[in-house]
Amino acid sequence: MLEIQNLNVYYGEFQALFNLSLRVPEGETVITVGPNGSGKSTLLKAISGLLLPRSGTVTFLGERIDHLPAHEIVERGIAHVPEGGRLFANLTVLENLKVGSYLKRARSEFSATLKEIYRLFPILDERKKQLADTLSGGERQMLSIARSLMSRPKLILLDEPSSGLAPRIVSRVFEFVHQIKVQGYAILMVEQNVRKALQLSERAYLIESGRVHKEGTRQSFLEDPYIKKAYIGL
Amino acid sequence: MTELLLNAIMNGILLGGVLALLAFGMNLIFGVVKIIHLAYGQCVMLGMYVVYTLAVLMKMPVILACIIALPVMGIVGVLLQSLVINPLLKAKANPLTQLLALAGLTIVIENMAQVVWGADLRGINIQLPLIHFGNVYIRTSNLIAFFGALLTLLGLYLFLNRTYLGLAIRSIAQDLDSARLMGINPRAIYYTTMAIGGLLTGVIAAFFSPIYAVHPHFGGSFTLMAFIIVVLGGMGNMLGGFIGAFIIGVVTSVSAVLTSTEIADILALVIFIAVILVRPQGLLGIKVSK
Repeated sequence: MLEIQNLNVYYGEFQALFNLSLRVPEGETVITVGPNGSGKSTLLKAISGLLLPRSGTVTFLGERIDHLPAHEIVERGIAHVPEGGRLFANLTVLENLKVGSYLKRARSEFSATLKEIYRLFPILDERKKQLADTLSGGERQMLSIARSLMSRPKLILLDEPSSGLAPRIVSRVFEFVHQIKVQGYAILMVEQNVRKALQLSERAYLIESGRVHKEGTRQSFLEDPYIKKAYIGL
Repeated sequence: MTELLLNAIMNGILLGGVLALLAFGMNLIFGVVKIIHLAYGQCVMLGMYVVYTLAVLMKMPVILACIIALPVMGIVGVLLQSLVINPLLKAKANPLTQLLALAGLTIVIENMAQVVWGADLRGINIQLPLIHFGNVYIRTSNLIAFFGALLTLLGLYLFLNRTYLGLAIRSIAQDLDSARLMGINPRAIYYTTMAIGGLLTGVIAAFFSPIYAVHPHFGGSFTLMAFIIVVLGGMGNMLGGFIGAFIIGVVTSVSAVLTSTEIADILALVIFIAVILVRPQGLLGIKVSK
């Protein structure tokens, strides 16, 4: 579904990603593992068009998307949930969801999608008139994910969905992600909570200093002594 | 004396309505395009010349001239976006360069107006009746301007809150990258915002035309007042700007009666400086941590 080949991304003169290649097959959840600053968020930004790669290709559903602006990439079916949720704080919950369905093709299905979202996340229905700013951390993350679903994507990029949340809430966020996964969406996730994230995924990539160091199935990651020691803490 | 004061306060409130609209336009552009439109009053001036040209030189009915001025000024807004603001955004110009560019634009517009229409006062010369409540006299033209401005503000409020386009404008103002990830094309929204901002200068020009005669330096003090109101209310805060407009309207109007119009302008600036010193975020502004 998503195929990345030899991607090189720079911030000015600083190179953040080196010849990075990665694949997300239809309906699968893929997680990237790696330390802070290793380029995982950069990767997501380069896919969603917030950053322009200097070279390499990003192919989505057989079509090159690496030189499209962000708003056209959403149109093609990739939703990016940025780190921290990045909600529109002064808009209500419902308005946030409405902006999520800004795309022409999503607008016509707004009511149906909204109903679906409220079924998945009933708390958002209760809070729909509240400003996004007044939500708790977990609710914000939920709204951010829900907002991205409003665009009716095929692939969801999740950047650290559990970051900054209390441990009790983290489990709930992973439950939301699981709910989305069983709906059939493909997910590419960056996550520090490697143990929980691996449980949800089929495949994983280890990214360090902007390079892929290992790729494999969930099982191969769970059994890798280095991954266990450095990222799972067993 | 009390009559004089009552009249001044009344006029201040009526002027405040139009100033609120003016400040709203400048605030909207600042919130979305992140540019301080220092030539905003000059655009109103340009709009008044458009009304004058159509109504007096081309002998059109005044109402028709005012209506035509709206889209014309909307187009001026779009032209400013493509000729002045886009190059600044593309070059990632720093705020000082942006300010200088817009300040330069005021000089260009003022001198262009002087070349085209001359330095004399130009007015459409219509007299609307005076109405009075007891000893308070009100010009109908001021009353039309006041209610017209409030109605326009209401329309803008509904547009920003009830339509997808309005929602897109508000989201871009809050978080550009997040808005892009929702499929919103920033460039299209910038153009829309500048078109709306331009349209508003046309609306204000239409309301001002029966009240004031225009001259090439007419816009300067209105740019200043709009800017003071925006800062007074808190940059990006629409309600604060609304309240600020009436404060500035009444203060300048009352002090103009008690002293002179020059002192009134000075007083507006003194209020401005005092607010900056005591409450830099403005009356209703929120401190930004980032």
